Amino acid sequence: MQDSTTVKPHIMERQAYLQKEVAEISAIYRRCFPGHALQLVVEEGDDPARTDPVVLDAGQAVQAQHLSSQYLGRIDLPGPHPDAPVIRAVLRIPRTPTKGEIANAEAPWRAPRVLRPLFRVAPGAYEYIRYTAERFRAGRIRRHNWKKLPFGKGSPILVPSVQPDAAARPAILIGFHWLEVGGAEKMAFDTVNWALAAGLRVFVVASVPSIQRLADRLPDHPDVTFIRLDRYLPPRLWPLYLERLAIEENIRLIHIHHCSHLYASLAHLRVSVPWIRVLDSTHIVEYVDGGYPRMSGVWSNYIDLHHVISGELVDFYRDRFHVPHRVKLGRMLTRHDGEVALPALNMTVGAKVLRVAFIGRYYYQKRPIVMARTLGALARWARRNGVELRATLVGEGPFRREVEQLVRSYGLGDAVEFLSASADVPGLLRKSDILLLPSNNEGLALVCYEAIEQGCIPISTDVGSQREIVPSGLLVPHDPGAAVRRSVAIVNRLWRDGTFLAEQGAAMQACYRRLAADPTAEEVLMPIYRAAATGAPALDDIL
Amino acid sequence: MSVLTNTAAVIVTFNRSAKLARVLDALAAQTLKPDTIYVIDNASTDDTEAVVAAKAMPSVRYVKLPKNVGGAGGFHEGMKIAYEQGANYLWISDDDAYPEPDALEKLLDGIQDFETRHKWRPSFACSRVEWIDGTLCEMNTPMPVWDWPRFLRADSLYALVVSCSFVSVLIPRWAVKEHGLPIADYFIWFDDAEYTRRIARSYPGIFVPESRVTHDTPENKGVNYSLVTEKSLWKFAYGARNETSFHRRERGIVGVLGFANRVRTEMKRGNVPWSIRRRIFGAILKGWSFRPPIVQV
Repeated sequence: MQDSTTVKPHIMERQAYLQKEVAEISAIYRRCFPGHALQLVVEEGDDPARTDPVVLDAGQAVQAQHLSSQYLGRIDLPGPHPDAPVIRAVLRIPRTPTKGEIANAEAPWRAPRVLRPLFRVAPGAYEYIRYTAERFRAGRIRRHNWKKLPFGKGSPILVPSVQPDAAARPAILIGFHWLEVGGAEKMAFDTVNWALAAGLRVFVVASVPSIQRLADRLPDHPDVTFIRLDRYLPPRLWPLYLERLAIEENIRLIHIHHCSHLYASLAHLRVSVPWIRVLDSTHIVEYVDGGYPRMSGVWSNYIDLHHVISGELVDFYRDRFHVPHRVKLGRMLTRHDGEVALPALNMTVGAKVLRVAFIGRYYYQKRPIVMARTLGALARWARRNGVELRATLVGEGPFRREVEQLVRSYGLGDAVEFLSASADVPGLLRKSDILLLPSNNEGLALVCYEAIEQGCIPISTDVGSQREIVPSGLLVPHDPGAAVRRSVAIVNRLWRDGTFLAEQGAAMQACYRRLAADPTAEEVLMPIYRAAATGAPALDDIL
Repeated sequence: MSVLTNTAAVIVTFNRSAKLARVLDALAAQTLKPDTIYVIDNASTDDTEAVVAAKAMPSVRYVKLPKNVGGAGGFHEGMKIAYEQGANYLWISDDDAYPEPDALEKLLDGIQDFETRHKWRPSFACSRVEWIDGTLCEMNTPMPVWDWPRFLRADSLYALVVSCSFVSVLIPRWAVKEHGLPIADYFIWFDDAEYTRRIARSYPGIFVPESRVTHDTPENKGVNYSLVTEKSLWKFAYGARNETSFHRRERGIVGVLGFANRVRTEMKRGNVPWSIRRRIFGAILKGWSFRPPIVQV
């Protein structure tokens, strides 16, 4: 439009958003290229998350393929002197997400077109095909490197002269995978709070561009800064930016939570800012190719300490990377004073009502279809035995719609309640007999701790480190059909056999107590954070 | 939310130079003028080209098509060109619809205000279309969604709609990018309803009653098969074929049978002669195997 002179509220809001993002872009590039003049071409993105920033090589001009109709303008940042070389970049400012995009990261799931009719009539058969295909794929996947990258200790003769700005209070850089819902992310948020409590300033980055729905859960504190490298800086430039950040902000410690770009920056950081200490936290060994623990192990020579949350991971680092001396176990539990008081089981033998809970995101990893089929099978079991089945399912995600339809098709529309992810989970578990967790893969599911604390019996697939918290009598096979059958068989035996019920209750409480006796993540990490806040010598002593 | 508001008007015309001249005058008088006005001439044989040239409006781009491809083909071409030329918003209208001076401004304000207030992106914003006597123009009545008053309040007069006609509708660029162009092969009728329903899959459009246009049609009648006559049969036949094709694509045989039953009932109520009824049913049969492609941008 040609002649809009009136400033309307919605226009002002858009302009304010753009100005905020332009300030963020300018700050990132100014820090990354202090010796250059910068010409930053800015466009409006039509995606709420993906931005694909492009930084042109020195001397390269902007080409038509870099631009689109969404061109907004150019930010010019002068160099330190008139002859400073020029760096050009083409950057997109993402649009603000809609309500629907905030509520659901992905569109509702539908079975692939070819298999849709099969899914309609036999969801179990579909699930089995997918399970088999995934196992087949896992067997054929091209393996990543599992060798530790070599790195020497260096010589005191050649110590770089660069030093961090001692005038700035010590700081920590915490790398997230993303700021979305997840167990690893919960841990990462906890570490932000612990670092603040230890007296560190906190800088947060995330490696995966996304809406970062939980960014507002970062403490609203002047010492916490979320830098949007995920939006505006290509991964290959992260090391250069982080070097400058470390020097200017007196970064003493880096803590990596499944943040691949931070791992990839370690080589440059170790050489350019050698005073920095690095630790990482890992949660889950991906059955396909190791996932983040593999990545962490490969970079082990660049990392001072691997914090892990399960015994399985301790063994993994020992057996695959031979670094037991650099691994510390810290459970995702809160330390209680004295003996942990665990309540009696909610389930009783021969009860007329069976209360089942499912708590998790409706993603394939949690296998919500298997959970729904288990509910269907339990409903048939309940009818045969004159038991009333009630289920409460908590969570959001692309599979939720299909689960709702399946549940209705089993005639359980009135017996099953769907709650949002913000529901009172401990309150629900306190009123539930059984927690279903038929996941495809898990690290060590936090919800199992919570279930046992509330007297609810978890029935879980035997994946990841689940056997550390769930007794073998309550574990079910990975195969989807077998998982459904075994889950019903376990419930049946718990319901009929008082001795079995008592044994499993005692066994799961023993598991919990064994885990509760281990150090917590906070106990492992806080001394390191405090040492980092105190100064380099203290940190050298502890790591 | 976008701060970019490069807007293109797309007007399809055929042998109505006098009315087109009034449309161009109305666009020149807009409080927010479109950056570009594409006049898509469906191979008119009157003085359309001379009338457009005489206006000497620098924002007008006159595109003469080699043959008459119908309203659907004209809108398809016009929107394709406007999109390729980088329009952020496309205002689509007929050559006999005269927008009030603030019609475009209200539509753009409506989309942007709605996005800011409610954090949803309407796939289009349509005007209130009135006939020459100020009453509602029957054929341009938008179809509401089931929860149409969700955001309708005294201070926010937006009703949610799932389809509207190509008479003063503002379509954001993202909707064209995601859903493609109108189906040119429809030639005439139902191209607008199909297209707006298609883009409304992302999110419904909004009806902006403060934006008003006058549709200068010879008579004020809706699209109802009880009204089909020998003279209007050719248009209704295109409509029946196109709508059948749409229902087949969206809902399969059930949708087609439902549509055929509605047409049958309407023709029965209107006591339409059997010779015409047969030809309409023939068009429905044709529509069953009519599967025009959707062209993406």
